[in-house]
Amino acid sequence: MKPTRQFFVLAVCVPLLSACGSDDGERLPGSLDRHARAVELVVAEDGRPVPWVLAVEQVLHRDNGEEPVTLDPHLAEGTPSAHILRDLFEGLTSESPTGRVIPGAAIRWNISRDGKTYTFYLRREARWSNGDPVTAEDFVYGLRRSASPSTASNFAQVLLPIANAAEVLAGKVPTDQLGVTAINDHILQIQLKGPTPYFLRLLNHSSTYPVHRPSLVKYGSAFSRPGNLVSNGAYILKDWVLRSRIELVKNENYWDAENVIIKQVFYYPFEDQSAASKQFRAGELHWTYGVPNNQFKWLQRHYPDELVISPWAGSYFFGYNVTREPFIENQDLRLALALALDRDLLTEKVTQFGEQPSYALVPPGIGEFVSPQPEWADWTQAERNDEARRLYAEAGYSEDKPLRFEIRYDTGQNNNKKMALAAASLWKQVLGVQATLVNEEGKVFLRNREQMVLTQVFRSGWTSDYADPFGFLELFRTGHGRNYYGYSNALYDSLLDEIASERIPARRRRLMFEAERILLGGLPFIPVYTYVTKRLVSPRLKGWESNIMDHHYSKNMFLLKSVHEGEASAAAVERDEERPAEPEESVTEEVLPTATEEGQANEAPGEHAAATAAPAAEDGQASEDPGEAANSEEVPKSEPEDDGATAPAEAVPAEVEALPAEIVESPQVQSEAPGETGEVPEENDAAGGDSGSGEGFRE
Amino acid sequence: MALLELKDLNVAFEIPDGEVHAVTKLSFSIDAGDALAIVGESGSGKTQTMMAVMNLLAENGSASGKALFKGEDLMQMNAADLNKRRGKEIAMIFQDPMTSLNPYLRIEQQMIEVVMHHQGLTRAEARAHAIEMLRAVRIPDPERRIRQYPHEYSGGMRQRVMVAMGLLCEPDLLIADEPTTALDVTVQAQISQLMTELRAKSNTAIILITHDLGVVAGLCDRVLVMYAGEAVECGTVEQIFYQPKHPYTKGLLKSVPRLDQPDDSGLEAIPGNPPNLLLLPEGCRFRERCPSAHDACRDTPPMQLDGQGHAWRCFLGPTDE
Amino acid sequence: MTQDSGMLKHTLRRLLGLLPTLLMLITVTFFMMRMAPGGPFDSEKLLPAEIEANLNAKYHLDEPLLRQYFRYMGQIAVLDFGPSFQYKDWSVNELIAQSYPVSLTVGGLAMLLAFVLGTTLGIAAALRQNTRVDYSLMGIAMLGISVPNFVIAPILILLLAVYAGWLPAGGWDWGIASMVLPVVTLALPVTAYIARLTRGSMIEVLHSNFIRTARAKGLPESVVIRRHALKPAILPVISFMGPATAGLISGSVVIERIFSLPGLGSYFVTGALNRDYTLVMGVVIFYGVLIILLNFLVDLIYAWLNPKIRYDEKY
Repeated sequence: MKPTRQFFVLAVCVPLLSACGSDDGERLPGSLDRHARAVELVVAEDGRPVPWVLAVEQVLHRDNGEEPVTLDPHLAEGTPSAHILRDLFEGLTSESPTGRVIPGAAIRWNISRDGKTYTFYLRREARWSNGDPVTAEDFVYGLRRSASPSTASNFAQVLLPIANAAEVLAGKVPTDQLGVTAINDHILQIQLKGPTPYFLRLLNHSSTYPVHRPSLVKYGSAFSRPGNLVSNGAYILKDWVLRSRIELVKNENYWDAENVIIKQVFYYPFEDQSAASKQFRAGELHWTYGVPNNQFKWLQRHYPDELVISPWAGSYFFGYNVTREPFIENQDLRLALALALDRDLLTEKVTQFGEQPSYALVPPGIGEFVSPQPEWADWTQAERNDEARRLYAEAGYSEDKPLRFEIRYDTGQNNNKKMALAAASLWKQVLGVQATLVNEEGKVFLRNREQMVLTQVFRSGWTSDYADPFGFLELFRTGHGRNYYGYSNALYDSLLDEIASERIPARRRRLMFEAERILLGGLPFIPVYTYVTKRLVSPRLKGWESNIMDHHYSKNMFLLKSVHEGEASAAAVERDEERPAEPEESVTEEVLPTATEEGQANEAPGEHAAATAAPAAEDGQASEDPGEAANSEEVPKSEPEDDGATAPAEAVPAEVEALPAEIVESPQVQSEAPGETGEVPEENDAAGGDSGSGEGFRE
Repeated sequence: MALLELKDLNVAFEIPDGEVHAVTKLSFSIDAGDALAIVGESGSGKTQTMMAVMNLLAENGSASGKALFKGEDLMQMNAADLNKRRGKEIAMIFQDPMTSLNPYLRIEQQMIEVVMHHQGLTRAEARAHAIEMLRAVRIPDPERRIRQYPHEYSGGMRQRVMVAMGLLCEPDLLIADEPTTALDVTVQAQISQLMTELRAKSNTAIILITHDLGVVAGLCDRVLVMYAGEAVECGTVEQIFYQPKHPYTKGLLKSVPRLDQPDDSGLEAIPGNPPNLLLLPEGCRFRERCPSAHDACRDTPPMQLDGQGHAWRCFLGPTDE
Repeated sequence: MTQDSGMLKHTLRRLLGLLPTLLMLITVTFFMMRMAPGGPFDSEKLLPAEIEANLNAKYHLDEPLLRQYFRYMGQIAVLDFGPSFQYKDWSVNELIAQSYPVSLTVGGLAMLLAFVLGTTLGIAAALRQNTRVDYSLMGIAMLGISVPNFVIAPILILLLAVYAGWLPAGGWDWGIASMVLPVVTLALPVTAYIARLTRGSMIEVLHSNFIRTARAKGLPESVVIRRHALKPAILPVISFMGPATAGLISGSVVIERIFSLPGLGSYFVTGALNRDYTLVMGVVIFYGVLIILLNFLVDLIYAWLNPKIRYDEKY
């Protein structure tokens, strides 16, 4: 038999594999079978997949990195918690698969002329998982809890733009002074300290999620346990076996439940990425959190369809401590080191996963913002090296008197060590610099970096919690808690103040551009590269898009049938022509019924297609879309005293917030997408940036 | 027919430096009910001779020649056949009572397993038999002591246990390897007495291995003197004690304190050391220590017989001094 | 019985003697954790001063260290290990309670496997001393000792899980299938060590005088081995089991990571790296008690097997 022979081949090459993480073994049919061979995706007019391509078992297995620290949305920190909380809860705003801000628990909102008052209109049909309606009061309660000192959230800084948030956090005023008001059950008003153009983005951060007050009162700190947790998102927490798995099941009370295809989601913690990738290859996972750093080439060769690499809104750089010699007031020397770093080499040889060389601070792809590029970004490396040598000599260093300093880094899952090593050798090679590597344990490194007493050159980087360049620029503000660089520039600081209060997007972008230009002139850091996300994804898993925030909602995803299943059902179709729908599915599928009985068309958009053929479904589709039906009654004339911002909110079609809008290629939907209706044009950072991304599924 | 007859027994050990010839061409025999003493210094091969007979040589040891027990060659016997005789027909008492008993098992277990295995006795029968035997070797309170472990016994008591164990099956041949060494004199006497009694009672032949000529006199009929792996003299107790022919035997006798001599004045040690068994000299192996050595001793001396069962390996004649 | 009461007294005395050790362990760990640079709330992300103050107040980290120490000692006196700093939804008691059965199962099964397999192979090799069987068994054992877990594990996963698909590549569901690979991987080096140990001691025992006595009794070789040689040959293995347990625990940190097991070992590492003081303390105390008790148990078994030190020994 064939497997026997392959087994032998593998036994021979396995030692090699384990030693260096790469081998020449072939992919085996086993793993192919479980992952790779999916039927081709067919979408109906509304962009939803037609039922007959869907797998019978819509159970998603996601590798979620480390164990989530908590499922209390207000205590949560770290990506693992955030991923699960996005499935469990829904903030006022949500995100499309491409990362665009879309209506969440609020169906629309108004922003006052001064940009400081946001009025949110909540969905009437929104329900908690126990059936209670989601009210404005729930949000008020949630935000107050999140800001309360007794909650001791360590992500409450997300709330700082809200009026009085800082005072509440510091315990100076009671929580009811927080600028959040429930006008009535379905209207919520939030007062901000100043205009915060990225505020809508913050509203899908877990710190701003509502919590179900009665269950919190009942269970106290145990409210986030399985069985206790009442949530308002697409899923309910069913089970949590510590460091084994977290099981979510579909929330039938979710307002958009009928469009949620994945019925069950398992999140698995993995401390070891290579363990996760092995389980993926064994067919036990659909989605990994990352991939082992050293396996790019091997994975690219053997899992080209599964390996997904996409840009991520984060920058990797080296920091200078400009308060310590030799880098005080020595811009030319700082530039010399920056020039001598061959970024193409570093990204090709060290990081290896298609990271983009970077010459600025803010990663590309954040809205419409484009970073200024230094002049030398266009030079060849040889030219840069020449200039670097000139500057180095000018600064008074030579072969006999080489520059000496320490590069400090911490080791983790990243390539910090390799990166520091490569940088040191490049600097030595080009300039003759004598750099010493200092490896420190994570927390020691953080402490030293913060204290700025020992550091000279150190590993640094930033990923923002919200897609706005300000989060990056802020790091270099005088006295900022994360300004490890000791950078201080009055002009830069005043520009930051201006940016903070500027509402007009284009002007704000100009200010940010200018600020970054100043920063690049001062060069308290050495840009190196922009992060990418890298993971293995089963080709059967669709409904997600790469986005720079790396936020992926299970509710948007679905699993395609494998070819086997497809063949089986195709055969069934041929056998039984008057009932073309798959018999197996009509038995087991509850969420996406395959409409074996006519006239039940109200249930799911795609089902008609299943019963007959894809194109035939379109006529019935538009009128029977349940989202629209709901909308007509759910958006009443609840348009009160809003200051001037009286755009026709009711006119926002239901397709906008419904998921299908994302997938179907429909210009009408795209243009009307985010429900911002204020007079001031929306800054559009996300919407604009993603406007071309509704291209649907490519197969 | 002799009970045990050894013919040209050779025992050698492979060691990294070469081959150690522990026993060379040894022949002797013992009849049923007889008592033979094998004497000689440490390393003379007396213990290894009996180990070879019992097939208990260390892994690097090998034996050749014949050891006919009741006419059957023990050397050619398979393990199962040998095991039918070991412990049952031939029992051996080892020289170190402190280590020869299993410290992890109760005395009871160690005793009853012999009879249960060889005679098919039940546990209770075997136990009764063992207690009886312990009583016979004068272990006080045997019913209680039999439940104890070896470390709860003194050295002398352990040796008595060994003797009792050896006699459990009333063997035809009892090989006692230095059974009284390490025991104080009164116990020595008791053990000797015990063996004499048992010999008389059950017609057990005894081979007593010792370097102590003192115990030989009371217990044995005949004596075999070994030196450097060879038999140098063999005869009755009277012949060996009163008419020793071989200079080594004579030396040996002079080195032993005797009850019939009032003081230790006559004690003499044999000068020098036994030859290296790796590199045995040509000719007489005792030559270099022998007071009577002469040129002829460079050849291998013949075994001389006096016709009355007395034999010695020397060029000296029966009357030479 | 005087023997039994001596034994009991001895046991109690030794148990009491363990308390100062434990106290020392707790105290040293407590202060060492606090001396390590960085705190539980340091992270890459911005943490405004007022938030940090809220956090410190919540976990009493704003109190003087000595007061925290006595507060902690008061807590653990009633077996409350406090809340975890990192896993905020859980108390350390809950974290340990959920994970120790996994660690103990894997560790216990690995120990059992290592013991049974190791002694069997060791005896087999000893009985065929210096033959091809012996050499190949001992060669494999040497390999087993010198090749670390983190090399064996991926090989086994690739062969048996990824390619053959017979076993899961990781995870834990209390099913036999999910236990096989971790247990085997964890047991292998210990098995190898025990095999070598058993072989050595068995050979030594087989050369001892009392085995010669047993053979002289005409007992079949199998009885000689089973009844006379086995127990003394295994005694060194028994005394090795105590330290081996500690070894298994440290090995399990690696194994749990590779096989994604929800055991206790990983808390050691993540807790230390995150400065999750209470979690590290809880795990250290749990492991400390476990190791001390297992060593103690091993001593008892040893004494029970070895009549010479069965009672009234002073150690």
